Amino acid sequence: MKKMKWIAVCAGISLLAAGCSAKPEAQPQPAAKPSDNAAPVEITYLANSSWEKPIKKVVDAFEKENPNIKVNLQLSPTTKLTETIEIKLASKAQDLDVISVDVPLTMGYALKGYLEPLDALLGADAKSKWIPSATEAGSYQGQLMAAPMNSSSVVLFYNKDLLQKAGVAFPSDQINYRMTWENVVEVAKKLSADTNGDGQNDVFGFSFDQVGKAYQLLALAQSKNAKPLSDDGLTAKGYTNSPEMVNAFQFYSDLFNKWKISPKIKREEALDYFISGKVALFLASTQNMPRIKDAGMNFGIAPHPYFEGGKIVTPTGSWHVGISKYSTKKEAAAKFVQFLTLGKGSKIWFDENGALPASKELLDQIDKDSKYQEFPNNIMKLAASEARETAAPRPKTPGYLEWENNVNKAFEDIKNGSDPKKALDDAAALIDNQLKKYQSVVK
Amino acid sequence: MKKETIAPYLFLLPAIVGLGMFKLYPVLSGLRQSFYAPAFLQASETFIGLKNYISLFTDPVFWSSLKISLLFNLFVNPIQIFLAFMLALLLNSKLKHIGIFRGIHFVPVAVSIPTACILWNIMLSPEQGVVNSVLVGLGLEPQPFLTGSKQALASIIGIATWKGVGYWAIFLLAGLQEVPESLYEASSMDGASRFEQFKQVTFPMMKRSLTFVAVSVTVSNFLLFSPMYILTQGGPEHSTNVLMLESYNSAFLYSDTGRASAIVIILLLMTLCIVALQFKFLKAKH
Repeated sequence: MKKMKWIAVCAGISLLAAGCSAKPEAQPQPAAKPSDNAAPVEITYLANSSWEKPIKKVVDAFEKENPNIKVNLQLSPTTKLTETIEIKLASKAQDLDVISVDVPLTMGYALKGYLEPLDALLGADAKSKWIPSATEAGSYQGQLMAAPMNSSSVVLFYNKDLLQKAGVAFPSDQINYRMTWENVVEVAKKLSADTNGDGQNDVFGFSFDQVGKAYQLLALAQSKNAKPLSDDGLTAKGYTNSPEMVNAFQFYSDLFNKWKISPKIKREEALDYFISGKVALFLASTQNMPRIKDAGMNFGIAPHPYFEGGKIVTPTGSWHVGISKYSTKKEAAAKFVQFLTLGKGSKIWFDENGALPASKELLDQIDKDSKYQEFPNNIMKLAASEARETAAPRPKTPGYLEWENNVNKAFEDIKNGSDPKKALDDAAALIDNQLKKYQSVVK
Repeated sequence: MKKETIAPYLFLLPAIVGLGMFKLYPVLSGLRQSFYAPAFLQASETFIGLKNYISLFTDPVFWSSLKISLLFNLFVNPIQIFLAFMLALLLNSKLKHIGIFRGIHFVPVAVSIPTACILWNIMLSPEQGVVNSVLVGLGLEPQPFLTGSKQALASIIGIATWKGVGYWAIFLLAGLQEVPESLYEASSMDGASRFEQFKQVTFPMMKRSLTFVAVSVTVSNFLLFSPMYILTQGGPEHSTNVLMLESYNSAFLYSDTGRASAIVIILLLMTLCIVALQFKFLKAKH
């Protein structure tokens, strides 16, 4: 019996030892093969899942042109993309080569050492091929850190059928006749309706596309001359909760809680609400055009509204692409970035995705090609004009992630009925606390 | 004699190694991390001693999250244990086809947390969610649920309870089935009523199962943050920002692993104290 016990113990230990050992006893290994130049290099590109269809077309074209480079496309939803990047790059993971960079995050990523400077990799003349605002937004200390995939602009889409039904005149598509926010409220009240008699509106006059998101909502405050952060990007108190900000976000709150002309939905639901005829006026980026067209709806476009007596301001800035500092395949990654942002890929991306280009060549094409004079392609003409004349960037700060997350939460609370002043005061206090860590690194 | 003393430890060795590698090492690594500043802005980690803990104790966000975590657990644990016990008593009935009812109550357990959250998010939506449609149909006011700062935590307690009760009831049901039938027969012959039988036989005999369930429910709910992460992101007005979520955001959103580790260590110590108290007061006397 005692012998059996010892046999069992020994067997257990040997099994454990076998399981824990990293490698089996050294076996004769075949001699290392000389490097095979023909073997394809695989680069990993982390992109937004909402781009799946257009970005796959770009990747296919790139692989066709560069048979030695394979692109492993990894998709992540917008809300999780920045988190995934933080987790991967904070742990210095080498399995990510090309990353999507929401442009206001460039400074933070550069400070944290996540991005490889692109000047040498893309060539000195690359920077001159994009519009200066996009190049500047993707640069840090004079070096290009993230190349622009596109720029962006926002226009007011409207459902012609709903406007006709309510006897409301179509808004003009000319920038000289743009609506004021006061007009939008007046019209949206006429368009909102309770069609099933349950006492709640089920057709709404107006909705933002990016409900609760700073990208789109900041233009409200900027139209009232608000400055969301201090010049050094490190102080929120007195800026994020300034009287102008509070005033603008009181208006935002009233859309949902006082006038009830906007649905309390999440960003992901907004486009579906417009396409399905539950929203009449829809303020959204041009990138929504392909899906709106595909839905076969009867729609029109108009310029972005502004507050009467205020400044005309439109959102801008978009996704850029950068190369991870920890990538071991930077040259292949740079080839892909070049293709996507300046090469044939940028044209495919523009045609398939519908975003306003950042490349001067494509913008010139919009100006010259007669097809952009006609509806619905004239949306690009309108967007290009807004990008040139009225676009206002989001704040430049190393703590953009902290700033945006906190203000987005405040905007969500305001939508759900919180007092705008309290929500913005709380957000400003939190942001200041979180920005302290950057004070020593911003000169 | 010596061989006899070593043998049991050798048998335990694989388990001890596993315990050290997968349980103790992460805790010690977290403890070490909590003494360092965020490394992302410097070339290397900087030892800052207790600064992460000191800054937490002066941070209103930490105190608010601590309060929310305690409030959440103060309600969710007793509710889950009470409902699981009641459910186990019902499922222990000697009814025909009782297996079908046991199966139905286990369904929420089989639904993954993200799926459950998405389902409840749709049902509790202030815009055309089915729960509000029912309320409006009954002539009541629609409620904000997850979008109202006064109802969000309660809504999450409801969702966590819906998901968890069936699971904990299974353990209590197993405990109930272990209570010897002879004890009920004896007490019945002594003239004990159903309530007295529950008080004198069922409850004392269930103390071990109840202790296990109480400790497990507490630990799992102190660490629970996925419903808050998926449904409310800690809002509205920070009303669902529990400590685990605050720690997650510090670590994976703002790259401040030192602060995140300090929060986890505090949470660990707090959970250990509460579990120790539970063991002390719920210990079976038989």
